[in-house]
Amino acid sequence: MHSAMPGRAIAFLAAVCILSACQTLPKDAFRLNETALETRKVQTREYEFIDDEAILSASMAVLQDMGYAIDEVEKELGVLSASKRADATNDFAAFGSIAADAVKCVITLGLGCTGDNYSEIDDIQDIRLTLVTRPQREHGDDVSVRITIQRIIWDKKGRISEQETINDQDVYVAFFDKLSTAVFLEQEGL
Amino acid sequence: MMRAAMTVLLPLMLSACASNNAAITDGGSQLQIRQIQTREYDTLDKRDTLRSIIATLQDLGFVIDKADHELATVSATKLQDYQIRMTVTVRERDGERLAVRANARFNEQPIEDARAYQDFFAVLDKAMFLTLHKVD
Repeated sequence: MHSAMPGRAIAFLAAVCILSACQTLPKDAFRLNETALETRKVQTREYEFIDDEAILSASMAVLQDMGYAIDEVEKELGVLSASKRADATNDFAAFGSIAADAVKCVITLGLGCTGDNYSEIDDIQDIRLTLVTRPQREHGDDVSVRITIQRIIWDKKGRISEQETINDQDVYVAFFDKLSTAVFLEQEGL
Repeated sequence: MMRAAMTVLLPLMLSACASNNAAITDGGSQLQIRQIQTREYDTLDKRDTLRSIIATLQDLGFVIDKADHELATVSATKLQDYQIRMTVTVRERDGERLAVRANARFNEQPIEDARAYQDFFAVLDKAMFLTLHKVD
């Protein structure tokens, strides 16, 4: 029994280490990667004959349509931050984990009915989004709009299951499609 | 063996407890860190400087949490497998240039590595060059 202690202590220390401070800052955390330009293109769209205040107001309407709460607007700098909490459960994953838990429960003759698999599946996601407008110098009435989106996914036990920046092009295309419609409505005064 | 394990674990536990309050005010007195985190630019245009900072942060994958023109400050978060929180402030210096100061935390730790700030300012330098020369 005693001989197991150092091993456990080391495992405990390693776990503390991994969970907290021992993850080191990646070298490229503050460097532009090869895809930075491409990403910027995906996240940016330009609008003509409109000022940035009108863009911000159209954007707020679109975000509200999509159920976002507007957390912050700074008109002077053209910055808008919004967030929403949404469901992150995947029925297929949920079914699989419930089945796995049931099998484990039966195999262990009732001793292993902990529901561990189910508690580890994704539950909710917190989505945060920033939209930044930038007037284009050469054309006084052109504005470029760039959005960046992140999310944190929490599992059923309230632990972080995933945190990421959204790079899926389709998400940005879908957003800008909605914004374009709203900009049109804004320009038409509707 | 038990004792050996406790000698390792006890200071760890105690230091963890002690650091709860210390964390509120620790750091903050190192002039060297302030220097590492600051760069000056030959402009007095706060708005364009802040816009360049915001664009730089977006290029680096940050989401802007808060931006304030009046207080000349921008806060942003980067989420990957890790989390970086960064605050950038702009202050006028000697009435003729702007000092940009950035400070960041990586997960729960402050970033004190000079290279990280050099990397950040290298990207900001480019954005500021375009801003200062009025190019988009």
